[in-house]
Amino acid sequence: MKKISRKYTAAAAVIATMMLAQPAYADGDIKCDSGPTKDWKSIKKLKKKAWMEGWELLKTQVEGDCYEVYARTDSGQAIEAFFHPVTLKKLVVFRRGTEIYRAPGFKG
Amino acid sequence: MKNHVIKGLFWLLLSFPAILMVRSFLQDDVLAMDMLHPSGETAVRLMILAMLPGPLSEFFGLNRFFKGWLKIRRNLGVAAFGYAMLHLIFYIFDMNSVVAMLEEFTIPGIWMGWLSLLLMLLPALISFDFAMRRLGRSWKNIQRLVYPALIIGLVHWILLDWAWQPAMVHLAPLMIVWILRYIGRRRRHRTQRSMT
Repeated sequence: MKKISRKYTAAAAVIATMMLAQPAYADGDIKCDSGPTKDWKSIKKLKKKAWMEGWELLKTQVEGDCYEVYARTDSGQAIEAFFHPVTLKKLVVFRRGTEIYRAPGFKG
Repeated sequence: MKNHVIKGLFWLLLSFPAILMVRSFLQDDVLAMDMLHPSGETAVRLMILAMLPGPLSEFFGLNRFFKGWLKIRRNLGVAAFGYAMLHLIFYIFDMNSVVAMLEEFTIPGIWMGWLSLLLMLLPALISFDFAMRRLGRSWKNIQRLVYPALIIGLVHWILLDWAWQPAMVHLAPLMIVWILRYIGRRRRHRTQRSMT
């Protein structure tokens, strides 16, 4: 009896992990379809854009073909936002692995 | 005397990554945020290193190598807890506000991190010789809290990092030795039964 219950616990743990992992993984892969980097706007402009959101900027970087901004909102939330490198449109915002904003119509 | 020197050197080795992390943070080379991943990952790796020799020596039999590994198991476990604490300290520096920390406590990826640390706390606190002697058999049972601590810690990682592969790569060696231990126990069980 004890053996069976232990086996079930292990299996349940694995399944739970997989289920929790699946949507989380799907979030991470943002595609911006931004074309050649020579057409991209400068990081400086990106910083200004993020600043205009009212965020406290921590870090900016290129992630795949997107611009990514690590920032803190005015209420202190730690967020990661993806911007389109050419239009500098705010596409997706994550907070601790959860999507909290997505631009209408954006599917990347 | 010689033993003390070796022990001291080993602790120095274990704390070396931490020294590098703290140094680059203090020198403003990196943000606290950037140190979250390395400190957490080091904690996980040390935990795994502490959890491997038990099942391995059970399956392959005790040899000098496993004996040595088992001897440093407690140090590895305590070091894992140390890195988890460092991870927490970097998190506190990163958030820089108790209100903001409390506010995001309910997010699964976050409270799982707290829970994992909490589960590690008790085994770490009783890791000295006196507690080990005093608690006897129950000492080992309390140490088993590292199993849920590791699993929950890995889920915490997966939830925050959007990728399940790195966490699974870390879990893989443990899965293998757990399976080996299970096979070994079944085999022994069967031979015992056929003997009676």
